[in-house]
Formats: sequence, C-alpha cells, structure tokens
Amino acid sequence: MEKLSKFTIRFRWPIIVFFIAVSLLVGSQIKNATMNPDMMTYLPDDMPSRINKQKIEEYFGGTEMIMLIVRSDDVINQTTLKRVKKFSRKISRIKGVDKVMSLFDLKYVRNEDGAIVVDPAVKKLPRNQEDIVEIKNDLKNNEMVYGNVVSEDFTTTAVIALLKPDVKDKIMVEKLEELIETIPGEEEVLIGGTPFSRMHTAHNTMSDMGRLLPLGLLLMLVFLFVCFRQFRGVWLPFVVVLMSIFVSMGIIPLLGWDITVVTIILPVLLIAVANDYGIHMFSKYQEDNIPGEMLTRKGLAKKMLLSMGKPILLAGLTTIVGLLCLQGHILIPAGQMGVLAAIGIAFALAASLLFIPAISSILPKTKPVFKDGNEQVKKSFIMNMLQNFASLVSKKPKTVIVASVVFTALISIGILKVIVNTDPVGYYEDGHPVKHSAEIINKNLGGFFPLSIVFKGDIKDPEILKTIDKVETEVSKIPEVGVTTSIAKVIRQMSRAVNNETEEGYNKIPDSYNAVAQYFELYAMSGDPEDFEKMVDFDFEHAMILIRLNQTSTPVMRKVIKQIEDITGRELNVEYMGGAADIFSELDINVVRGQFISLGLALAIVFFILLIIFRSVKGALISIVPLVLSMLFLFGLMGFLGVELNMTTALLSSIMIGVGIDYTIHFVWRLKEERKNGHSFEQASINSITTTGRGIVFNALSVIIGFSALMFSSFVPVKSFGFLVVVCIFACLFGALLLIPSICVISKPKFLEPTSNSKNQSS
Amino acid sequence: MKSIKRTIIIMLFAISANVTFAQSTLSAKQIQEKSIEVTRVEGMEAISKLTIINQNGQERIRQMAVVTKLFDNGNTEKKLIRFTSPADVKGIGFLTYDYNVKNDDKWIYMPALRKTRRIISSENAKSFMGSEFSYADMTLPNVDEYNYTLLGEEVIKGIPCYKLEIIPANDDVMDANGFSKKISFIGKADFVLRKNIYYDLFGDKEKVMDVESIVEVDKTNHKYKLKKMVMTNVQNNRKSISEIQQVKFNPEIPDEYFTTRFMER
Repeated sequence: MEKLSKFTIRFRWPIIVFFIAVSLLVGSQIKNATMNPDMMTYLPDDMPSRINKQKIEEYFGGTEMIMLIVRSDDVINQTTLKRVKKFSRKISRIKGVDKVMSLFDLKYVRNEDGAIVVDPAVKKLPRNQEDIVEIKNDLKNNEMVYGNVVSEDFTTTAVIALLKPDVKDKIMVEKLEELIETIPGEEEVLIGGTPFSRMHTAHNTMSDMGRLLPLGLLLMLVFLFVCFRQFRGVWLPFVVVLMSIFVSMGIIPLLGWDITVVTIILPVLLIAVANDYGIHMFSKYQEDNIPGEMLTRKGLAKKMLLSMGKPILLAGLTTIVGLLCLQGHILIPAGQMGVLAAIGIAFALAASLLFIPAISSILPKTKPVFKDGNEQVKKSFIMNMLQNFASLVSKKPKTVIVASVVFTALISIGILKVIVNTDPVGYYEDGHPVKHSAEIINKNLGGFFPLSIVFKGDIKDPEILKTIDKVETEVSKIPEVGVTTSIAKVIRQMSRAVNNETEEGYNKIPDSYNAVAQYFELYAMSGDPEDFEKMVDFDFEHAMILIRLNQTSTPVMRKVIKQIEDITGRELNVEYMGGAADIFSELDINVVRGQFISLGLALAIVFFILLIIFRSVKGALISIVPLVLSMLFLFGLMGFLGVELNMTTALLSSIMIGVGIDYTIHFVWRLKEERKNGHSFEQASINSITTTGRGIVFNALSVIIGFSALMFSSFVPVKSFGFLVVVCIFACLFGALLLIPSICVISKPKFLEPTSNSKNQSS
Repeated sequence: MKSIKRTIIIMLFAISANVTFAQSTLSAKQIQEKSIEVTRVEGMEAISKLTIINQNGQERIRQMAVVTKLFDNGNTEKKLIRFTSPADVKGIGFLTYDYNVKNDDKWIYMPALRKTRRIISSENAKSFMGSEFSYADMTLPNVDEYNYTLLGEEVIKGIPCYKLEIIPANDDVMDANGFSKKISFIGKADFVLRKNIYYDLFGDKEKVMDVESIVEVDKTNHKYKLKKMVMTNVQNNRKSISEIQQVKFNPEIPDEYFTTRFMER
C-alpha cells in the first residue's frame, strides 16, 4: 500500500487523465447497445428446448402470432363484423404478415346435400335477426373457429396474423395501432400476442433505464450530502459511480452483448455498491482533515490510501467474486450481468484507490467538518442504536443468538412455499395492456402460448394419424390446454365434409392409406394447402400437434408438459415436444438450478477468501453465518410474501453474497484489531460496533437507498427485487453487527486471539 | 390511267396501312381477349405433369390425363383431369365446367372412397393442387373483372410481345385472385401468352411465370396451348412446373366424358 500510495501521488495527472479517458471512450459505446427482449434467447442455443424449437421451425415455419381482439356485448352484428372484416383485410395488406386468421379468412367446410361446401366462416354480414342466428349456428358447428377466433359467448373475436420471421415487433404493433385509429368503432379493441409483450418489454426496459438511473443518482447525491455535508464528498464518489456505469454499460456492445430485462439492475447495482469505496475513502479524508492536523493535501491523500486501501480492496474483491459467480448461472443474461457488474465494480474500486487520492492531492484541502473525532455523531440516532446493539451483545449474547436462529428458522419455513415462475406476462402489473389482452386470449380465445408435439413416420399411414388423433383428444382434456390443431383434425373435418352423418366414414380417420392421400388431395383442391404448413412437412414425414396453452405461468406449464409426456410416452411415433412453453419451462428449471449453482459457488469462494484473510476455518465459518442466515431469511420471506423466483429475483442471492460479505469483513477485521489492542471480547465488540459499525451502517444505507430506486420500475419482478434487496441488506447488517459479536463473545474463537501474549489484558 | 393506278396503289397502301394501324391500335383489353381466344381449343386430349418444388428443392410430382372440350358456342370449357400417378392418388378425377360469366362447377371423385362430391367453394384463389399456380392460372379468366393498360412492347426470348398491365377492378377480385397487379407479355404475331409477372397485395413482385414452350394444338384455327409453364415464387423460392407431355387435337370427344358418371368409371 505504501508503494501504491507513492505511485498514486507521483503519477496523479496520468492517473486522472487515464480514468477520464477510459470512461468516456468506453462509455461512448453505449449508443451502439441493442435491446433483446426475447426471453427465449436467454437460454444457450444448445439447450434441448432451443434445439427442438429450431427443428420445429425448420419443418413447419414460424408460429409467432400477433392479434387484434375485438370485444363488445355481442360481436355478431353488422357494424362490428364490418369493422372486423376491414381489420382483417387491412392486416392482410401489412408487410410481414404471412397469413391472417379471422372470421372472414378461416373456412367453414361442411357437407350440404351431398356437396362439399367451402365458405369463409362468416360469409356475409347479417342484415336481420335470422341472419345473426344462422351465423351463430354456423360458427358453433365450426370447430376451426369456435373458441379460437370467436369466443363461445360471442363477446370476443380476434383477427390473428401469423408473421413471417424477422418482422420488427415495434413496426407491427404500430401498424395495428394505426389500424385501430383509422377504423373507428364502439367496440373495445386490444392488441395481443408475443410480439406485443416483447415490444413492451423492450420499451419498458429502456424507459426503466432512463428513469431509474437518474432517480438512483439523485437519491445517492442526497445521501452523500447528508453523510458528508461537503460538496467534494458528493461529487467525488458520484464521478466514480458515473465512470463505472459508463464503463460497464459501454462494454455491452463491445462484447457483442445485448441489453436485456436483467440489465436494468446493472446501473442501479453500481450506484448502490460502487460508491461504497469512495465513501470510505472520503470519510477517512474528513476524519484526518481536522483543524489540529497539519497534513498537506498530498499527505491526506496518501493517508487515506494507506489506512483504507487494504479493507476496501478486500471488500471489493469479494463483491467482484460474488458477482462473477453468476457465470455459473445457465441463463445467458445472468452470467453477462455478473461480468458487467464485476467490471464496473473493479473499475470503481480502482478509481476509488487511485483516482480519488490523485484528485485529492491536486485540489486544495476542504474545510474541516470535524472539530475532533466523534463528538458530533455521538448524539445521532444511529449512534444510539449502535450503543444499544453494543450493550445487547455484551450483556445478552445468548439471547441474540437464540433469537436470530429461531427467527430465521421460522421465516425459512416459507422456503417450502417459494414458487418458481418465469411467466413473461407476470412481468406486468394487473391492468397493463399486455396482461389484460393475455388474460382475454387465455380465457376466451383458446390461449396463445404454443407447445408442439412432433410425430415422425409416414404421416399418410392411417395408424399414425389415429395415434395423432388419440393424443390430441387426450391432450385436449387437460384444462390448461386451449386450442389444438393437427393434421388429424383436418382429416376428420374432411371426412365430415365428404360423408354425411349417417355414413360410416363420418368424422373418422379413414382406414386405407389411399383414402388418406386422397383426402389430402381433396383439401389441396378445395381449401388452402398452405393451411397444412403448420401441421405436416412437405414430404409427409413429420407432423405436429400445435397446442395453445391458456396459462402463462411456468409452474403450470411444467405440470402440463409432464401430463402430456405421460400421454405421449407410450407412443412410438412421437419424436419430441417443443415450442415456447417448453423453453419457458426449461428456463424455469434452470432458474432454480442456476440459483443454487451460483449461490453455492459464491458461498464456497467467499468462504475460501475468508479462510485466507483470517487463516482460520472457524473464523471463516463464523463470518459466513450471517450470510447463510440472510439467504434463508430471503428465500423464506419470498415464500411468505408470494414473491416468485424468476430470472430477475434469481440474481439476488449472488449479489447479496457479494455485497453482504463486506460488512462481515469490515467488522471482523476491526474486531481483530481491537483484540490485538488487548481488549476483551465484550469490549472489542462494543468498540467495533460503535466505530466501524457506523461506517458499515452508512455503507448499508447507501446500498439500500441505491437499490430502493428499483421499486419504481415498471416490471413487477424488478420491483420485488428492489424490495428484497433492501430487506436483505438489513438482515446482513444485523447479522454483522449483532450476531457475529455475540457468537464471538460466547465462543471466544482462537483466530481473534492476539498473536503475542505480551499485550496487557484489560477487563 | 397512270393516275388511276397510282390512286389505286395509294388506296391499297392506305388500306393496308390502315389494317396495320388498326392492328397496332388494338386496345389492351382486346389484346387480352384475343390472347384468351387463341387458347380456346375445341377439344383435346393430353397427358401432363405437375411438378411442385419447395424451397429446399424437394419435389412432389403428379401425373394426369386431361381432356377438354368447348360447349355452348365456346362459352363453356369442360375439363376432366384424371390422376395417373403416384399410386396413392391414382384414379382421382377432377371435373370442371368453366363458365364464361358465372362461378365454375367442380366435382371430385375419390376412388379409395368410391365417392364423387361436388365442391362448392366461394373462393378459388390460392393454389392449384398445392402448387404455385393459382386456380385462376389454370382456368380462363373473366375479362371484365380487370382493367388493362398497354405499357408498350418488349421482346421475350426473341419473340416481340405486347406488354400489358392488368389490374383487378376491385378489392374482391384482388383478394380472390391473390394479386394486385399482373404484367402479361403476349406475342404480337400469335397472341399467345409468353410471360406473367405477379405482384402481391403489397405491390411487391411475387411470382414470375415463364412460358417455356407452346404447342399449336389446332392447326387450322391456330389454337395454342401453353406446353411448359414454370412458375417461380421469388419471395419464398418455391417453384412449380406444369408441362404437357403429349397432346392431341380432338373436337370429337364424346360429351359423356364430361359427366360424373364417366369420371367414376
């Protein structure tokens, strides 16, 4: 540290220029960053569910859809249908729309007096009540539309656009919004579908960034001013934070990464954590800068580095390690976020250790705020609290331990209730357009979350078709399954068109191979053969049942997938299952797995670091206890409050370990110092709590204040994340200030014994 | 005398000039009408092949025997298509009565089910048997449903052609036929179609139909059939080829060939 401080003073100008130049240079790359709102791409390409989806797209094309939902008391009337028809025609004219499904585009195929009749589902606008009754009857008999593009109670109808690949979500949504304006009417018209929710995710992520960043910075400025009551104490840590945000965000495009829903947390995390090192440095500067002391500005700069360098470096390193453990997370953005945050923290750490002293050695000394040491702070609320802590620890250490353990144990019962849910719709609050339209589609229009079952074999073989039919029938019985489509269903529809109800072949898969082939040919002549594209491939070697789930909650999806696996497990021709629902349920499992891997990794590494620092297994164990209890507390609380474990909240534990360990390190470090100075465990604890304790409280407060900005996010999980961080930091804080000293007072661990016995013992 | 001769010569010139003039001032619509007219064959038998190729180059081939005959003074063309291969669809019959003004009548016979069914469809647009050809490409269009503009002349594969712009008269026709604009190249000498370019509903080029060869079926009345047509979808890279492999002019095909009873035989 001596060498470092000399180096810093000597090369102060190059250091200043270097830090500013790097921040501006890297920061200028932020403008090149792109946003990726597609959560399915958050899993690695080689995950089974991603591979399956890709295979499905190869055989059957994309299944992405966006829809206009038209609602009124009864949509089967002239004005509403006229509007729907206009929508459907205009949507078919939008570039990027592959195929439109609506009451006017889907067909009604039936047998009428021995003839096969193919009409649009609604072939004319109703002029009177009889027409309305007739149309409703036709629709009820048409399983291709009933409960699919029109709700069974006729209050809702949809115009669904199947999209070509690579259509920009935003452009598509804007076109639909324009249509709603240019074709006005009384009915409520909503937009729904995955592109719609993705667009909102992208939009909200960006606006969250734009809102939370300034808010976090503002909160921090206020906090810094309250702490230091001095202008330099505000802008110096502030500049360090800005630099670290610039660097970590600017590096995103340089590494070829995208901004994701997870990245929202990054700037706020940096605001909360990156200023800690600066705060410690400047508070040391203020501590030393008292009227009596005649240190030069260079002397002050040197001193803050000399005395604070080591603990700050250690605290910084453990935080970085904790964050890097997110790499163990299989979710790509989680790992990326860990790396980015680690880079930002590393930069802030370096800037606090080099840039701050370099600046301080150049600028004139600030006006001293302390007349002597602690006089001013003694009366404050925090000092009162800390003194209460100190007396509690020295008088009733057992009670503290028992109370903490019992309390944590009680809360941790909630762990059993923790729900894993990566529901993409769950990111929105009730009443948000994305959630609202998703609920309507799920309730009235057969759902939208796709899952496919792929069959392999000679699809024209009646046996295979019968298998497909059987699987489809059984799957349809699962309540969470909305609409299903398959080639078997089409064949049965054709059989109803060719035969009348009294004939034997009616509503049946025919028994002969040629009959099947001829049904296909019939469809090619009478309907639109492109309808097949999503059901069977060109060579009739693969077929798919496309299932739309009417739930977006991933635990439900997992359950449904398991049920479907039970149905398909017996069938030889089932090749695999795939689709968005499959990916999200795999996402789910990986959120849990990633959670435990990164958590375990972080705990292990932090334990190892503590082992090196304290050279004692017991020391490392004691230091890690508050962390472990905080984790139990965190998950228990999530269970009791019904906060779901998802991609965002899964990052919590690793971040908590990285940040929470700092308090323990600072505290145990001081405890050791105090013991070295010959104080008893009780007295050492009291001294540590009332001195370093104050720094730790400030440190924790800055983290809490920084993260509280997240509670203003427009995403529900990000809000929950903000709340949980705040609660958790408190838990870590109490762990470090109450639990650790209590344990030490009782167990009197050897690693805290003074190394030489020559020190005099005081009571 | 000389002056009379000269007058006559001048008059003859004028007449012939007038004739050529008249020919070159055929309206765009008249060119289209003529183009339809030269493909109206009194009666014929043919063996033809339809090849459907998807974007990955996979092929599906249908072979069929076709007979056609004109009825009602040429206002109705009756056509019977019978599949000859592949085996699983062999024997399927497809009978159409293509009327000049009203919707076509269609029947299908499925041998595996031993059933004939009339198909009543209010739209016949999209695709002919799953190919890139639309049903409209395979039947004679209703001339009055479109507006025509003569854009000029162009040489297609060495043949001077009229270049016609054909636009559906209204949205319904546009939806039913699936294009917003069609550019047709029609041979100046024989009025046989040589090439079509189709524009989709967004106004973008979608499909190109090249007539690779033609055959004069009725030599006395100069009636032609498009022997080989290649339809390429430039947007999705799919392709379909329709080729007449053998054709024989035969106005004497018995009327009973064009009945469902015959189709079931």
